[in-house]
Amino acid sequence: MSTSRSFTLELGGILAAVAAALLCGSVVIMLTSSEPFVAIRAMFVDPLTSMFNIGTILNKAVPLILTGLALAVVFQTGVFSMGAEGQLYVGAFVGSLVGVYFPAVSPWIHLPLILLSAIVGAALFGAIPGLLKAYLNADEIVTTLMLNFVAILTTSYLVNNPFKAEGVGGFARMEYISKDVLLAKLIPGTNAHAGILISLAAVLAVYLLMYKTPIGYEMRLVGKNANFAKYGGIHTRKVIVISVMLSAALAGCAGIVETLGIQQTFKDHFSTGLGFDGIIIALLGRNHPAGVLVAALFYAYIQVGAQTMQFGSDMPREVAVIIQVLLVLFVTSQAIFAYIHQRLSRPKAVN
Amino acid sequence: MPVLLEMKNIHKVYPNGTAANQGIDLTVHEGEIHALVGENGAGKSTLMKVLFGLETPTAGTIRYEGREVRFNGSRDAIRHGLGMVHQHFMLVPSLTVSENIVLGEEPKRGPYKIFRDRSKELKEVERLIETYGLKVNPHAKVETIPVGQKQRVEILKVLYRGAKLIIMDEPTAVLTPQETDELFQSVRALVRQGHTIIFITHKLREVMEISDRITVLRAGRSIATLLTRDTNQEEISRLMVGREVLLRVNKSPAQPKEVVLTVRNLSAKDDKGSPMLKNVSFDIRAGEILGIAGVEGNGQTELVETLTGLRKAESGEIRYMGRDLTSLSVADIRRLRIGHIPEDRQTCGACLTSTIVENLVLDHYRSREFRRGPFMNRSKMKAFAREMMETFDIRAQSEETLAGSLSGGNLQKVVVARELSKNPKLLIASQPTRGVDIGAIEFIHREILKQRDNGSAVLVVSAELSEVMALSDRIAVLYNGEIVAVMDNTPELTEEEIGRYMLGVKKQGQEAAG
Repeated sequence: MSTSRSFTLELGGILAAVAAALLCGSVVIMLTSSEPFVAIRAMFVDPLTSMFNIGTILNKAVPLILTGLALAVVFQTGVFSMGAEGQLYVGAFVGSLVGVYFPAVSPWIHLPLILLSAIVGAALFGAIPGLLKAYLNADEIVTTLMLNFVAILTTSYLVNNPFKAEGVGGFARMEYISKDVLLAKLIPGTNAHAGILISLAAVLAVYLLMYKTPIGYEMRLVGKNANFAKYGGIHTRKVIVISVMLSAALAGCAGIVETLGIQQTFKDHFSTGLGFDGIIIALLGRNHPAGVLVAALFYAYIQVGAQTMQFGSDMPREVAVIIQVLLVLFVTSQAIFAYIHQRLSRPKAVN
Repeated sequence: MPVLLEMKNIHKVYPNGTAANQGIDLTVHEGEIHALVGENGAGKSTLMKVLFGLETPTAGTIRYEGREVRFNGSRDAIRHGLGMVHQHFMLVPSLTVSENIVLGEEPKRGPYKIFRDRSKELKEVERLIETYGLKVNPHAKVETIPVGQKQRVEILKVLYRGAKLIIMDEPTAVLTPQETDELFQSVRALVRQGHTIIFITHKLREVMEISDRITVLRAGRSIATLLTRDTNQEEISRLMVGREVLLRVNKSPAQPKEVVLTVRNLSAKDDKGSPMLKNVSFDIRAGEILGIAGVEGNGQTELVETLTGLRKAESGEIRYMGRDLTSLSVADIRRLRIGHIPEDRQTCGACLTSTIVENLVLDHYRSREFRRGPFMNRSKMKAFAREMMETFDIRAQSEETLAGSLSGGNLQKVVVARELSKNPKLLIASQPTRGVDIGAIEFIHREILKQRDNGSAVLVVSAELSEVMALSDRIAVLYNGEIVAVMDNTPELTEEEIGRYMLGVKKQGQEAAG
């Protein structure tokens, strides 16, 4: 089988999964809503009918693209990191520290410095599970899930105590970051912020890195066949550490971009599971940067659809959650699709 | 003799368009040993899958014991008296011989048959061992018994299930010459007891020795069915390949020059951490081939991995052109013009989910020649791959074809191409032709000899004694992690002689190594 042929098959499988999820979602709406067509319209059409909604889709897609990329990178290396959520908090926290406490300078210096510190901070935090995996063979799923708690609870403690902004009530946050370095609104009349540009640049960068550079070749080889990589003299441990750190850097970038674009400073427990959504995005996009981009936009569209449906009909947003869950279910059951494909294409018995 | 099995005009086209069987006729008489020969990809395994009902034929009929049948999976086929002895043993290592034999069909007793009837099980197994003379201790754990006996357990397994027609898939692939002889005796005993055998193999000498009739497959068709006594190896190989083939490697005498590799008292542990390779010493000179013979699992894997840096040496010395290799990394060793054809191309020698290009550039992707700034120069890599495919006759749609979709022979050629393209001073070839077709074997053997004649030192490790004997200028035998003999490969040297060393029956004096 050639690569292009397998690509077509993959794409077909994903589209079928998406279609099946939407179909099932529609059935759920049909069964529960008194005005199902209004609800379906509100969910699937309304998100695209106003610039404001499109802007919201873009904003929601921004962190999803970055966390999706983060997980695509490690998954391609064969490491099943679940740590994007924690790394995202670390990135957002470190970046916000620099944003709030670094003396006022030109935003042209300040903004890159914030981004860089967020990325480096998250990458260093990501080095922990990377090193544990590579040198002590610690299971990365366990270590990253545990380190998520470490990251989220530590930042929570810090933002509730030493770094808490004055006069803030229950929901702790840092002092607001100077308006000068917050990400500007991109499209007039919408909330869409410049984070989308950073995300698109990241898509391009990850694509070039994974498919065009020697280190990308090494990462993919380690993920596909570690024995072959070792046989070829590739330092697999080093590659694994680099991959996990790179992933953490992308997750950290997602955290700071979300902070600078939406939150305006580090807020306690601000992420709504963006790091875990990234897993779904990476799976949907088959770990390819372009796939991640499309998947993140689609996922954001469904999320906005949930809101518009809630406002525009008698359906609760839980239905949209059902569709998201169905999506995950269908996409991850590649095995079922492979099976069906095999079944359908098996020639009828000739007697 | 009455016809037991008749497969007529079997066609099998897979959904992806591969026509694995394109009109195969196979008629097996009751009580005969019927050899089924053909190169890899000739359709042997597909035909057997069709017989067992694991694949539905696109066309064709199967008659068994006079009735038209279509088995519904292995279980059904087994119930009708078919049995398969697999090439790769399907045994549970931690269970005993008798437990393996009855697995899934254990005799039961008690209310609702909820308990295993161990005494009946043992009696039954002992009766089978007795009847067929397949000597093996029913109480021994399978992991502790030698390969030849494991195979007997496989045969007993199918006999226990009442097989009348027994299919043996490459049964001698893992056996020493002596074990092969014993297997043949068992096979003849089975026939005397009224069983019928289909013997799948690619070793023509064995076909001539054991079979009554031969069916030759080529490219999914049955080319001929011959009476063994009316044919010869040359004719069979011609039918298999479709052209004349050289069964013996044509090779000029070696012209050994300076010593390239010196191994002294090398010891290494196996994956479980117990000592495997023990005080191995040998030299290889430029322009000669040293063959390592031995039953698999006697330290060959550890030897090759230690030489190539994949495994740490416990003690000893490896000197390559004056440099010590023991402390170098795999990458360093590969850079020193040491080519390594690993024993398992599927898991180690190639990345099946990558393209041919990506498999071929393993040593070059960082080199300046294939770079363009920080990026890899894809078009140059592709050009390089196309050139390699041309030189090494790798048949594939394009250089972007996935390695996993290549036939065994073509995949091995990818590995060989990669390792030879760096013009190695030392070539380490482990099982270089395992599971590849005759045409590819011929090609690979020629390439290895060419390396020798161009002044490389070559180490060939192979479980196929015939291969070691065909290629080597000198032969060392590994037994239990030690080199028990080193001899010159003279025409007088016989397989039986080497076989005695391989089984550990005989051992040369210490002074002979070197």
